[in-house]
Amino acid sequence: MPENIIEISNLDNRFGKQWVHHQLNLDIKKGEILAIIGGSGSGKTTLIRSVLMLQEPTAGTIKVFGQNIRHISHNAAQRIRSRWGMLFQHSALFSALNVRENIMFPMQELTDLNLKQMEDLANLKIALVGLPLHAGDMYPAELSGGMQRRAAAARSIAMDPELLFLDEPTTGLDPISARQFDELIVLLRNSLNLSIVIISHDVNSLERCTDRVAFIGEGKVLAVEPIMQLKKNNHPLIKDYFSKI
Amino acid sequence: MVLLSLPKITFDDDHQTWHLSGNWSIRTISDIDWPDTQKLSHTVRLDCKKIQKMDSAGAYALIEWQKQLKTEGVEVELLGLCPEKTALYTLIANKLPKQNPEKTASERSLHSSLWNIGHEAYLKYLQFIGILTLIGDLLLTIYRNLGQTRRFHIDYILSNICQTGIMALPILGMLSFLIGIVLAYQMGLQLETYGANIFIAYLSGMAIFREFGPLITAIIVAGRTSSAFTAQIGSMKLNEEIDALETMGLSPTEFLVAPKVIGLILIFPLLIFWSDLFGVMGSMFMSKTMLHIGYHDFLMRLKESVGLKQMMLGLYKAPTFAVLIALVGCFQGFQVGNSADSVGHQTTKSVVQALFLIIITDAVYSIIYSALDL
Repeated sequence: MPENIIEISNLDNRFGKQWVHHQLNLDIKKGEILAIIGGSGSGKTTLIRSVLMLQEPTAGTIKVFGQNIRHISHNAAQRIRSRWGMLFQHSALFSALNVRENIMFPMQELTDLNLKQMEDLANLKIALVGLPLHAGDMYPAELSGGMQRRAAAARSIAMDPELLFLDEPTTGLDPISARQFDELIVLLRNSLNLSIVIISHDVNSLERCTDRVAFIGEGKVLAVEPIMQLKKNNHPLIKDYFSKI
Repeated sequence: MVLLSLPKITFDDDHQTWHLSGNWSIRTISDIDWPDTQKLSHTVRLDCKKIQKMDSAGAYALIEWQKQLKTEGVEVELLGLCPEKTALYTLIANKLPKQNPEKTASERSLHSSLWNIGHEAYLKYLQFIGILTLIGDLLLTIYRNLGQTRRFHIDYILSNICQTGIMALPILGMLSFLIGIVLAYQMGLQLETYGANIFIAYLSGMAIFREFGPLITAIIVAGRTSSAFTAQIGSMKLNEEIDALETMGLSPTEFLVAPKVIGLILIFPLLIFWSDLFGVMGSMFMSKTMLHIGYHDFLMRLKESVGLKQMMLGLYKAPTFAVLIALVGCFQGFQVGNSADSVGHQTTKSVVQALFLIIITDAVYSIIYSALDL
């Protein structure tokens, strides 16, 4: 049985008087593609932000790579940060840098590679995500939405992370780009041996690329199972979710 | 956590084999001690059995080394890669661009300095056209909306007056007071030697009413307000909010530019007056402590020798300064491109241009006043 790369237990998140998560438990296995779904405002993004150490949870433990990230030294936290990548919903590419510089940015700051190596690696990442090479010289604002998403994906794998978070990667893409993006996700997992966590609403995309899907509702994980099984789940919230699509 | 060892390359003389080991990853490949390949035979074996971990950067390093060996005429045989790593290795080898795209040297450096001068002049010309368009658009908007009070957005105007006027009062008052003190002190030193103490009222009054009051006000408002206008409109443009207004059939000029210009025109004379007030207070205070001229004497003298007329000459500058600052701020805001960087760039530009134009305008006023013998 593969080891767990993320273990979330008894997680509580509260904003003011409103509970977002209450006693939430979720394990993510190494090497799997797991999607998190749920209605709007069910706390999917809050969950990811808690795991990414962008937001301190109210209570509970989160273990990433076997370390409890709630009680961890600054250096250990930085080491963990170097082992994951995040693809933000709105790409979050640095607008002042072109695509290649965007990809090279973390390398410049975090490694001792020379310029040629960084450029080669950046070009490699550009090719890996299926962008044409000359896209490296373009600025984010000059790219279409789909290309921006690919460029952002290239940046998120710049440091060869072991764990990749994707926040609604296919939202706003046309069906063809979305399918290609899903293929890219599977390719990355298979070739670079990644574990991937996706937040998504796109059921077609979930069917194409996920191993398991976690459904969040009522502040808990209501079910974690392959998408085909989840669709037949009898929990009223889950039934309601899929009946409307 | 497994401690990751550094990548290592050791040579086994008997079998003509390089043993690769350790962790080949993006963080470690810069530490690889590449062996001297001078004394190699024609074929060499690379044994990868002991590589613990390899990511795409590691595979890249391996491929690059192989390439280099090949150019030196050495045949390379790769051994012992586990299936997973082989898959990664092949993927990277296939995806690695055969040749890097040619550097598109920045176009500008290719051109002669003459071209650059022309280009800059053309950009300045475009800017001039741009600001002319904005002025035309503004006047047209105001003309079209005459008679429809609703279209003038009194609430926006009031909030602009509050932001740009009322909030600036403390800093403006304090700085004017200090400038008044400094002025009176510098002039008082000279006047004292001639025993012409009482002229301090005339001199500082003239200087403050005609020049310092309007200029200090304009400088502070340019620094506070022109930059704020640029940053606000610039971020709105970045966020496509300007486009949103346009598509609703609403005029950005009406919502963003007109209230700012009108608000600033209304509040600017009052700001200058405020600055005059505190400037005079400052010099009055200094005259009392240094030259022993009472407040009453000072004010009487000010009224007789300077009078309202000089103050009005300063206040006449207000509408021009107000329009300049508001227009430059708004114009630079609309010039923001599509990066966060350009917000900062245009904000700097708007302050510098506003200050530049204020000083030029002030000089023009001086020329006009002297031509009219005022």
